[in-house]
This record gives sequence, structure tokens and C-alpha cells, in this order.
Amino acid sequence: MGGLAVLGQQADPAAKAVPAADAPNGALTIGAVIALTGNANLYGQDQRLGIDLARRWSLTQSPRRPLRLQLEDGGSDEATAIAGFNLLINQGALALIGPTLSQQAFAADPIAQRRGVPVVAPSNTAKGIPQIGPFISRVSAQSSVIAPLSIAEALRRDPAIQRVAVIYAHDDAYSTAETLIFQKALTARGLPPVTVQRVQLADNDFQIPITAALQLRPQLVVISVQAVAGGNLIRQLRELGYRGQIVVGNGLNTPNIYPICQRWCDGILIAQAYSPELNTPINRTFQRLYLGVRPGQPPSQMTAQAFAAYQVVFEAVQRLQRRGGMAGVSLGQAREALMAELLGGQYDTPLGPIHFTPDGEVVQGRFYVAQVRMDPGGRSGRFALVRNSPVSPPER
Amino acid sequence: MIEALLQTLLNGAASGGVYALVALGYTLVFSVLGVINFALGALFSLGGYLTYLLMGGPISANGGLPGWGLPFGLPFPLALLLGAALTGIASLGVERLAFAPLRRRNAEPLLYLITSLGAGLVLVNLLQMLMGAEGYAFPATALAGLPDAVVLGGARIRSVQVLLLAVCAAAVIALTLWLERSRSGRALKAVAEDATTARLLGINSDAMLRLAFLLSGALAGLGGGLIGVSISLPGPYVGIGYGLKGLAVLVLGGLGSVPGAIAGGLLMGLAEALVPGEASGWRDALAFAILFAVLLLRPTGLLGRRLLEKV
Amino acid sequence: MIDNGLLVQMLIGALLGVSVYLPLAAGQLSLATPAFYAVGGTLAALLSTTWPALGADADGSFPLASFLLELLLGGLLAGVLALLVGRLVLRLQGIYLAIATIALVEIVRVAILNLPFTGGAIGIFGIPQPFPTAVGYLLPALGLLALAGWVCQRLEVMPLGRAMAAIRNDELAASCMGIDTTRVKLTAFVLSAVLAGSTGALAAHFLNTWNARQGSFDTAVTMLAFVILGGSRSWLGPVLGGLLLTALPELLRPVGDGRLVLFGLVILLGPSVFPQGLITPGLLERLGRLGERAEREPQP
Repeated sequence: MGGLAVLGQQADPAAKAVPAADAPNGALTIGAVIALTGNANLYGQDQRLGIDLARRWSLTQSPRRPLRLQLEDGGSDEATAIAGFNLLINQGALALIGPTLSQQAFAADPIAQRRGVPVVAPSNTAKGIPQIGPFISRVSAQSSVIAPLSIAEALRRDPAIQRVAVIYAHDDAYSTAETLIFQKALTARGLPPVTVQRVQLADNDFQIPITAALQLRPQLVVISVQAVAGGNLIRQLRELGYRGQIVVGNGLNTPNIYPICQRWCDGILIAQAYSPELNTPINRTFQRLYLGVRPGQPPSQMTAQAFAAYQVVFEAVQRLQRRGGMAGVSLGQAREALMAELLGGQYDTPLGPIHFTPDGEVVQGRFYVAQVRMDPGGRSGRFALVRNSPVSPPER
Repeated sequence: MIEALLQTLLNGAASGGVYALVALGYTLVFSVLGVINFALGALFSLGGYLTYLLMGGPISANGGLPGWGLPFGLPFPLALLLGAALTGIASLGVERLAFAPLRRRNAEPLLYLITSLGAGLVLVNLLQMLMGAEGYAFPATALAGLPDAVVLGGARIRSVQVLLLAVCAAAVIALTLWLERSRSGRALKAVAEDATTARLLGINSDAMLRLAFLLSGALAGLGGGLIGVSISLPGPYVGIGYGLKGLAVLVLGGLGSVPGAIAGGLLMGLAEALVPGEASGWRDALAFAILFAVLLLRPTGLLGRRLLEKV
Repeated sequence: MIDNGLLVQMLIGALLGVSVYLPLAAGQLSLATPAFYAVGGTLAALLSTTWPALGADADGSFPLASFLLELLLGGLLAGVLALLVGRLVLRLQGIYLAIATIALVEIVRVAILNLPFTGGAIGIFGIPQPFPTAVGYLLPALGLLALAGWVCQRLEVMPLGRAMAAIRNDELAASCMGIDTTRVKLTAFVLSAVLAGSTGALAAHFLNTWNARQGSFDTAVTMLAFVILGGSRSWLGPVLGGLLLTALPELLRPVGDGRLVLFGLVILLGPSVFPQGLITPGLLERLGRLGERAEREPQP
């Protein structure tokens, strides 16, 4: 037993000294736990690309402290994400990017918090995640800030809407958080939903909730589910004859829904934290890099947010290095210093200029509403910008 | 009121049909071998993917082979049948790898559970490696020409669900007729009843066993293809859920009973359709609660035969 | 690489394997272990996060005494549930019993998912820790395993254990011999549940987060694999099976995408290569004889 305990001690790298930047082992590891398998892999693929593009960009910025990226599969369930976090932390990661799903974040982030490892989440939008602890932050704005924008847009297009149906996945943290925001926004406008249908993430046959909702003849349907379920839901809604407006949540913020709902995706409204049309140098660079890999398509929000997450970590490390903050400290101390540096900085990302609240919540000045426009073949499409809204900083 | 009832019936029949298909798959193997083939759910998924591929659908192999597809695309009915047939052949493979070695040693029934589970795991993860974990929706041309939905009274049902129901019904009727009327069907039933006597009567029970596996796999594959066209393939694990429900239906209807599997499937589908939207989270539990209740009241299922133990 | 976290998970696997083994030793194929595991874990998660009397600190630490209390309570609650349900369920035979227990697992899973106080989809996170690192859990896990092993070993010589073996051999003959089969089967079922419940309470603290997904059908069958591949004739079998098969997917991580395929292959081919599992009765006999010889020989 004692032998095992000693093994355990030696395995914890937080006590080891950080090597000098120009030493042969001077590259510090940034870990990324992304959903590469399972249903959430739809988001994970975009995120992996975004992180890789950011890494390539970072090499052109003459970094003083070289960084090494280590990617682990977080799967689409909590246990795999936890395993990925533990693995990377035990192997001496300086900071972590991820996990993909809010549901996973609630499970894995407390572990990073307890071990004192900074986490920058690229795509968690549920309420309460940065509040898990001082080491947890995110570049993805909360659903409470973004979601009401798409409702506003739908009502702007058709002020005569009276009956709204809401559908959400009740076994997922992101969906349950976002639907509350949607419902609150609707009620605030005097439009309490006529029905709230609960589905499950693993469902793909929505005949029952759809027919139940359609019996009340809604004019707007608001959906909070993840991408695969969402694509199916929209397609079945349209096939069963619903012709009204559809507003979807962050879970469908990926072009990977096109193959699923095909031509039926056309016309859905979605609020976004990223627009390809933002004309800043970093966004142009980002898009140039993106088009080099995926010609002919604009980048998705997931990719942009993942890029921003890596960029934030990278820039914070370089600033800390320049200030001498990494000299002669242990890994544990470096992680702490990095977190402080990270929260204090301003960043010029493809999402626009962002910074953090002391809690770790992102402050982003501008959000967008897009509408999906499918090509005639129904095989590809794009998120067409319809509205560009400045938003005041989030309330605590 | 009538409209709501009709809607519920339609909803229930559509899902019930698929459950019945899967339950029949289990029944065929169980009646001949006395064990449950836990790889059936994986075969369900396989059928879905094969049908998709045969229609020329593009896959991506987890980003490794984006957009690759077969150079031809068969029309849906042909792809469905061929996909089912190929799944049946795969099922023979499962028999060869997971069941035959144990039968040679006269292993206890418990071991078949494990090996078939292993076979299922291997199959599902191979699918994941080759096809990727993304969802695939069938090309919209699958049902070209059919209207999107059928409206009966005030109740709506998607045309593809009507198709699903029709094919399930046809498969079930064909299977029942074959079992009752045809020579090989009756031979299969004989082996199910009593393998030793059947062998004495000159029936090649090994061949019948393989036939059972072939048909069982084909049924599961058919179900997978139908679900795929109706709802899309969310991932290789799609079959596991249906496999589990099908198992519940199998036991509900009575192990080894064909009419029991059909009745159980429809009953299960109907019961689930009756759960109101607000309580939809409990829907999965309902299927198993019903099963639990039935087992406590009738330990061999609704239409199952009583197991006679020879002393 | 096997780090302390994996070691604890392996021990949890071993504990759950023994839990599945107990009813099997009485001839009952019960896959209800994940249900009781989930119940124990949920109880521990709820108590430690919502009952201040247990002394959870704001910084997430937790007194050892409360932790041990939860292990006890988790096992107790599971045991009581098993008592209530067992009488109904154990009337079923063979595969019907197995399916009924699978149904029970699903019902419990959905109940935990839907009941308002069990955390729903998010589950319960930030479960306070009695130990600062994973190493701390090794002792309680080993302790629980040692206790389970001691009980199983005692059972082999007690009349209860011999009654279980008789029922496993031939239930009809056993009841003809005057054994109260219902009582014996129920005892095995309840023991199995108590072990699973305590393990759940341990796991909830170890994993730091708990939700409905912790107890499900595929975990049930994987646990059965622990027993079958490890050897179902002795409690050492599921221990070995649990340790090995829990470690395997993690050890195979370097293989990458194919690791679950390899894992499936092991489960597929295992029973053909080791039809009696790894710890065969023959091996046990040899170990037993070695032990006897050591006792008889004079100590140097």
C-alpha cells in the first residue's frame, strides 16, 4: 500500500519545476479533451479543426514559450471526458481546453478545479459552469445572453405569433439550461408556450411529441436539443406538415446538420456567437487558414470558438512568459499564475474582442442571428447572417 | 377525441412494428437454440448502414474518407432487401464465431450470452471505425414521389412510417406463412420443438440452425434499414436501443412464440404512444415496467409455453 | 499506464463482479447489480451534498466518518430494496429472472433520471471528497473487497453456502432435500445488493459526480463478463475478471480507435479459450492442495 502511495506521489507532476523556455524539454503541454466519438463528435470534428488552425497560427506569432498540443477523446459521455481530463492532468498539462458538452463539463471541470488546472471551455453554454470554480472559464457565451436574440428575430418577422411550442431534451444539461432561457424570453414577451414537449437525446423518432404539439397549431416552434436529434426533429416537423417558423438553439450551430435535415433545414433561425462576415484582421486570417482546409465553406461557430479558446491560452502563456512568470516555479504555481493572467487579458479573436469577468465568464460585445439557407440540391447550405446585434455585458 | 386516439394508434403501430421485427429475430434463434443472441442489436445497426451504403450514400470514416460512397446507388427497395440479405449472412458469421465453438463443447447457456455480447461489441465498434460516428440521413430520393405525410381524419403520419408499417407487416406475414406452410419452415419448427426427434426424423438440425440465424439477421437488418430511412442513422449504437426493447418484447410475448412476439411488439408500441408528452422521460421505463408486471403475473410471458423441467 | 485512479476503478470493477457472482453462486442469473449500485451512489451523492450534518466543507472536503457512514447506508438501502423486490423477482426462473432484473435496472435508471431530487440529467456534481487524491480511496476499496472476500470464503464452509451450491447444482433436488430455497436465494440476492450499494456510495465520492447513466444495461452485461471470464466457481474469479476487464479499455488507449474492437474480441473469444474462466476449479484445487501441504510441512 505504501509503495502504491509513493507511486502516486511521483506521478503527480504539479510539484515538478517548469523547465526554461529554450531548454530541449521546454515545450509545455496544452491538453484538449474533445468529443471525437459518439454523437457529439459532430461538434468535436469542428473543434479539432479550430484548435489545429489556432495552433498553426500560433506558430507564426514567434512564441517565446513553445507549446505542445495533446488531444484526447472526450467521447460523448461524462466518464470518457473525466478519463481524458485525468490522463492529461497526470501527464502534466499546463491547461485544458474542453470538454465539448456542458453535460460533460459539470462532471469533469470539478476535477480540474480540485487539481488546480486552468480550463477554457470552447462550447459550454449552460448556466453555472464558470462558477464551478476559479480555474474554470469559457469563451462560449451563456445561452441566457444569446438565445433570446433568435426569439426576438422570429417575432420581428411575424409579430402576429400567438402560439409557441417548445421542445427540449430533458436528459442533457445544455438543453435543459437553454430551454429555460427560451421559455423565460417567450413569457417576458407575453407568449407563454402552449406546450412543452420533452424528448431524450437518444431519441430519433419524434412522431409522438410532434403530433402532440401540432394538435395545438403552433405558429413558432422553439427547439433545444443536440445536433443529430435536432436535424431529425426538424425534418419530421416539416414532413408532418408544419409550415411555421422554427427557432433552434446552440446545439444546431454546426453545418453537420445539413446531411441530416437536408432541404428541410432551410429557413431555421439560430442565434450565433460568431459571424464569418466580421471584418477584423484575425477573423480574415482565421478564414484564410480555414479555407485552406475546407475550401468553399465559411467556418462554423464551433470552429471559431475552439480557435479562440486555444488563442486565449496561447496568448496568456506568452504574456506570462514575457513577464518572467514562468521562471523557477513549479507546474502547479505556473498553472495558478496562468489562470490569473488569462482572466486579466483582452483578446482579439475571430469572435471579436473578448475578455473575462473575474468569474471566468466571457464578455463578448456582439452576437448575431443567422438563418439556414440550403442549396437547391439539399446537400449543402450556409448560415446566412440576418442580424448583427450589440449586446450589453451579461448580468451576474 | 377520435382523432387523438387514431393518432395514438398510428404512432404506436409504427414503432410497434419495428419492435416486433426485432423480437422475431430473437425468437427464431431462441426457439432453435434456447439462447438469446445479444448481437442482434448490432446486426440491426449493420442492416441500416448496409442499406445506406447500397443506396450510394457517402460516409466519412471519422473524417478519414470524407464523401466516399459506392460508385452506384440502388433504388431503395432493392437496397433494403439486399442490405437485409447481407445482414443475414453476417449473422451466419456471428453464429460461426460466437455460437459454434461453444456448441462444440456443450457449453452452458450463460456463455453464449457473453460471446454474443462480445460479437455485438466488435461489430458496433467496427462500424464506428469504418463509418464514423456521425449521423447519416438517407438520400431524400429514397421515397421520391411519395407525399411527405398521410392525413387520416385529423391524424397525421409520415409516409415513411406507413411504409415501415407495411414492410413490417409483410415480413411478419411472410415469416408466419413460411413457418406454417413451407417444408423448410415446418422443419425449423420441428427442430424448435424437439431437436432430437427432428434429427431422428431426418431433419438436418444444424442446417436449420443456420437458417434460423440467417433469417434472424435478415429481419434485424430489415428493421435497421427501415429505421434508417425513416429517421436517419444517428450512429452505430442505434441498434442497441432497439435490441434492448426487442428483448423486452420477446419476453413479454413469451420466449419462443412467434405470435407472442408480434402481439408484444404492437402492445409495447401502443403503450409507449399513450404516454403523454410531459412524462415522456418515463416512456422507456414504461416498457420495462410492463414487462416486469407481466413477468410477475405470468412468469413465462403472455403467450409463452410453460417450461417443463424433466427430472 | 496504471495510475491510482485506474487502480481504484479496477477495484470497483472487482467489487461489482463479486456482487454479480453472489446470486450466481446460488444458481440465479441476476443482473440487478447496476440498479443497486446506482441506488447506493445516488444516496451518497444526495446525502453528502444536501445534508449539512455530515460536515461537507465549502472547499469540498468531507469527514472520513461520514464517508464510512454513507458506505453503510448505501449498502443498507440497497439491501432493503432487494428484500422488497427479491421476493417477487426470485420466483422467476433462468432467463426470465435475468430479463426481469434487466428491466429493474432500466426502471431504476429512468427513475433517477426523472425524479426531481436526484439531479436529473445534470446529475449531482461536486461531491465532496474524504481524501485529497485518488490514493486515499485505495484503502476503503481494498477494505470492502477484503470484507466481501471474507464473507464469500466463510460462505463456503457455512451451511448457507452449501445450500447455495446445492441450489446451483439442481434446485429441484435441493428443495427436495428440505432446503428453504426461497430464503437462501433471497439471502444471496440481498448480500449482492448490499455489496453493490456500498460500492456505489464509494464510487460516487471517487468519481466526484453522479448521474443516472452510472447504472445501465451494458454495464450489467459487462459485469457478467467479469464473472464468466474470471471464473464463476469461486469469488476470486470475478475479482480477477473485474480487475482485468476494467483495466483493459484504458490500457488499450494507445491503440486508438480500435481499442473497443479489441475489447469486444476478448469478450467474444474468451469463453471459447477459457470455458471455465481464468480461475478454474482445477486451479482452485491445486491452490488448495498447496495450502494444505504448506500447513502440514514444518516451518523452517
